[in-house]
Amino acid sequence: MSNTDEKKPISERLRGLWHMLSGYRLLYVGALIAVAFAAVAKTSSFLVLRYMIDEVLLRDEIGRAVLLIALSFIGLALIEGFFTFLGGRLTARTAEGITRQLRDQLFDHLQRLSFSFHSKAQTGDLIQRVTSDVAAIQRFFGEQVIELGRILLLFGINFTALLLLNVELALVSVIIVPVLSIVSFFFFRKISQLYEQYQEQDARLSTVLQENLSGVRVVKAFARQDYEQDKFERENHSLFVRGRDLLKLHAYYWPVTDIVANLQIIAGFGVGALMVINGTITVGTYLAYAGMIMWIIHPMRGLGRLIVQASTGLVSYQRILNILGEPQESLTEGSVEPQGDVRGELVFDHAGFEYEEGQEVLHDISFRVKPGQVIALLGSTGSGKTTLMNLLPRFFDYTSGRITLDGIDLKAYPRKYLRRQIGIVEQEPFLFSRSIRENISYGVGRDVSEDEVIEAAQAAAIHDVIETFPEGYKTVVGERGVTLSGGQKQRVAVARTLLKNPRILLLDDATSSVDTETEAEIRQALDRLMEARTTFIIAHRIQSVMNADLILVLDKGRIVQRGTHDTLVNQPGIYQQIYDLQARVELELEREIAGV
Amino acid sequence: MSEHYGFEEEEFQTSFDGATLRRIIKLVRPYYKWIAGFLIAVAITSFIDSYFTYLGKRIIDEGIIPANTEALRQILLTFGAVMFVQAVTVFAFIYLTGILGHRVKYDLRKTMFSHLQKLSLSYYSKTPVGWIMSRVTSDTERIAELVTWGMLDIAWAVLNICTSLIFMLTINWKLTLVVAAIIPVLLVVAVWFKQRIIVEYRLVRRANSKITGAYNENITGVRVVKALGREPENLREFGVLTSDYYRSAFRAAWLSALFLPVVQIISAFAVGGVLYFGAGQVKIGDMTIGGIQAFISYITFIMWPIQDMARVYASMQHAIASAERVFSLVDAVPDVQDKAEAVDPGSVGGDIVFEDVEFAYEDGKDVLRKFNLTVRHGETIALVGPTGAGKSTIVNLICRFYEPTGGRILINGKDYTDLTMHAIQSRIGMVLQTPHLFSGTIRENLRYGKLDATDESIEGAAKLAGAHEFISTLPKGYDEEVGEGGNLLSVGQKQLISLARAVLAQPEIFIMDEATSSVDTLTEALIQRGMVTLMQGRTSFIIAHRLSTIRSADRILVIEDGGVSEMGTHAELLRQRGHYYRLYTQQFRREAYDREEQLLDAEMVS
Repeated sequence: MSNTDEKKPISERLRGLWHMLSGYRLLYVGALIAVAFAAVAKTSSFLVLRYMIDEVLLRDEIGRAVLLIALSFIGLALIEGFFTFLGGRLTARTAEGITRQLRDQLFDHLQRLSFSFHSKAQTGDLIQRVTSDVAAIQRFFGEQVIELGRILLLFGINFTALLLLNVELALVSVIIVPVLSIVSFFFFRKISQLYEQYQEQDARLSTVLQENLSGVRVVKAFARQDYEQDKFERENHSLFVRGRDLLKLHAYYWPVTDIVANLQIIAGFGVGALMVINGTITVGTYLAYAGMIMWIIHPMRGLGRLIVQASTGLVSYQRILNILGEPQESLTEGSVEPQGDVRGELVFDHAGFEYEEGQEVLHDISFRVKPGQVIALLGSTGSGKTTLMNLLPRFFDYTSGRITLDGIDLKAYPRKYLRRQIGIVEQEPFLFSRSIRENISYGVGRDVSEDEVIEAAQAAAIHDVIETFPEGYKTVVGERGVTLSGGQKQRVAVARTLLKNPRILLLDDATSSVDTETEAEIRQALDRLMEARTTFIIAHRIQSVMNADLILVLDKGRIVQRGTHDTLVNQPGIYQQIYDLQARVELELEREIAGV
Repeated sequence: MSEHYGFEEEEFQTSFDGATLRRIIKLVRPYYKWIAGFLIAVAITSFIDSYFTYLGKRIIDEGIIPANTEALRQILLTFGAVMFVQAVTVFAFIYLTGILGHRVKYDLRKTMFSHLQKLSLSYYSKTPVGWIMSRVTSDTERIAELVTWGMLDIAWAVLNICTSLIFMLTINWKLTLVVAAIIPVLLVVAVWFKQRIIVEYRLVRRANSKITGAYNENITGVRVVKALGREPENLREFGVLTSDYYRSAFRAAWLSALFLPVVQIISAFAVGGVLYFGAGQVKIGDMTIGGIQAFISYITFIMWPIQDMARVYASMQHAIASAERVFSLVDAVPDVQDKAEAVDPGSVGGDIVFEDVEFAYEDGKDVLRKFNLTVRHGETIALVGPTGAGKSTIVNLICRFYEPTGGRILINGKDYTDLTMHAIQSRIGMVLQTPHLFSGTIRENLRYGKLDATDESIEGAAKLAGAHEFISTLPKGYDEEVGEGGNLLSVGQKQLISLARAVLAQPEIFIMDEATSSVDTLTEALIQRGMVTLMQGRTSFIIAHRLSTIRSADRILVIEDGGVSEMGTHAELLRQRGHYYRLYTQQFRREAYDREEQLLDAEMVS
């Protein structure tokens, strides 16, 4: 997916992020206002100090005034504290609210994206985007923007206050600010490059470690422990060196900017002190100034970091946009509103399918199926069997010719309806890490009683297996629970499909991985499932297609042979060859055993 | 990767374990000079920090109020000079602390990795790779963080508070008492907050790993979701997870947002007190205007050290838990170890005898019972039987990945525990069912079998193993990258390379666990040919699945329930019509079916 990623200009991305804020804009603006109030309160406390020095202490009017001043100092701190907290809380509400929305939206969007998207996308990449990139958005709103706002507000409000106190002093005090913020920007950009390299090396070290651990038998069997240690040592040392490079940069940056910032502060102190001595400003003004200057200079050093970090937030946003920009497939759209169930009469009329222009994978497919019939598809991997099956539930839409179900164009049916009518049992069915009961009733679309589940499990010949688990139907499958064998999974899927009770059945018949005893059980379960349903079987062996009403042999997306078992066996071709081979096997075996 | 073992990360002790802490300190003891260095640097830094404030006071009291420009000049010059000193100490502590951190990580990882190389297979079978990975990566990070920046922050915080108090004392001791009274309050509040916040963040991480799990499942299972029309329900269920996350994350965030204001407000009371009492003392001459200014600064900036201390305190619990896990890894004793007097005879030959061998992975669950077997040099032994019957165990014992719990194994007439592990393992060539390759080129992977092999001999081995043909069709030939774990190659190709690797090693004993999954006919023929080359003149043990391998073995052992149920040549066993007969006919049919499928593929493609 990454090579098709397109990039939107930054201004457009910022607009997109603003759009994402909808519903939270008031809260977020409120958060910024609260931050501003907190800054005003802080600045005001310096002005209170100024008042106290000039009007009270230096005039010897101590008494009630001092108590009032002390109390107003505390009062301002309370106001500042309250607004800082309020700002934080509103920010958290916004950032977490947006992330929740985004997570839900992405989750839903992903499950509604077309099959062609999912067959191309890599799971790892998608997971990365919906986790790390969403977290980056959370930090963007939750930390970076608000912190940027705070620094700028602190600067703006304190600087304004300084201007009001004395214009000259104010201007002298901020000479260094542009320099400091530019230096900080370039520094953090460099740091983030070095940090990336550091992390790449970290990943390399992890790979060496991981390969060593998972290949422990090979390492031991070749007695290559020393070699492995050398390899690890190389990467470990290189990581150390990269860490040191990164560190050096920090070790230079902070003291150097310390010097720059302090020089500015000393200069300000000097100019301010001289102004007091000259009588241009009061002692109180100087004190207020000395307090405010700290809040102007020091935060500026972190400005670069915020800008660099916020720009990674924009990159993440772009990566998320690329997912959200993919078109969904509609579940409900369709020109007919069918009532009840379909009968299951299918007609393929010169149907074809291409994933992309000019790359046809199915050509000129024509056949008819009456309700309840069994159609077997036989062919090599890549012959188009699976693709043909995928057309029926409209995982993909046919691109030429026509397919009708009960006389109505397949594309006229809403996907949701169609998929409710079709049941699929795959070769290695996907089960969810939930209880077996939940897996069986997954997707039935109605409340299912315990008895119904058991009944379905019995019919699918899996009930007895489930009973052997200590927790029975509540047993969780997958990583956190029991691991089921391929055959067991398949039977759970059969039970699931029985409960769903579809009119059309798509079956990937692969019993090669299971042993002979379970094979018989699975066959019985499948036979029960196929009763009175139009069934398509992808067959891997002749044995499983012999009873089909129609066998289609596919090659390179075309039907090359068709008919029933009886006709195909007597027709020269692949079908006959395979059939003959099968008969020969038993003969060979007998001969070999007799021969020893 | 982290989501797989997200849960265990969270558990940590709530109380400090003194022994663990002492052991952590022992880790950095060799670097005491560096530690002393950064502690001195940070002490000077924090002293100068407080001194700056004091100079600010002097500017007012000695420069401004008496209108003494000369004094002002002096003070500002001092300010400038001290500032340069501080720049040096800041550089020193950042560099020393940081470099020590990287060093500690480096050392710990090195120690852990080399210990991991010594640990026996039993350790690996009990311990998930992911668990070990986290120990080596994130736990070392946390420990290093604690002994460097953690230690530094605590030192800085304590010194900062102390020097501030000292300067305040010299200015006015009575007011200092007012300030000193709030410090314990601040500490208690800070720790209380940090603990709450940690708990919330733990919930956040837990919710996060559930969300990732749900994404993962819904993406990998999207076909089923679509087929069953579960989209609305799934979104609803997912919404519950994101709401849980929202609640915890929001709580954690606003608790954090509350922390600083509370600390600030508490210190504001101290400032109020100082203003109130200080003003009175200015009048009687016990306090100066500059003094009040200095007090306000000292109190305002006290919140940073307090916050740092609380943060370190919180992360300390984490780091100690990390250290406990790291130490548990480093302390794990290998089950299989060389005896002190073990020797390497230079060659082990190929006569192998199992004498009444017993073995159990877990107590009471015997896998082998009184197992006896004599193998002559050069023999090929095929092991067949159902999964879990003990075939792999026999192979593991020969390689001495495990040792018998009873009886003994003789190699060339000698109890093999009298030999070094290296003596045995360096003379064994092994090809596994799921072949394992390392990232790097094909050449590097082949050279793994013999580190000093020339390019010619590498190519020779590849030819013998039947791997040369496919390698030469690759764009970069032997210098083609195989990808992480070899995942750029097919299973069959990986198998050919691991065969060639074993050929190159020229082992005295050859062990192979045959793959069950079918590779295409051509590759299978190549693998077959490679195996024959390898087995010539070597004692070979094959966990056999393919009929051709089974048939050509000198002896076939049917392993069932911890013992040999049948033994003999193919013809002998077939005539017995026992277990082997049944296994063989089953496999015969299965291979026939596979051929049927392959024929189908081949016909269609041509």
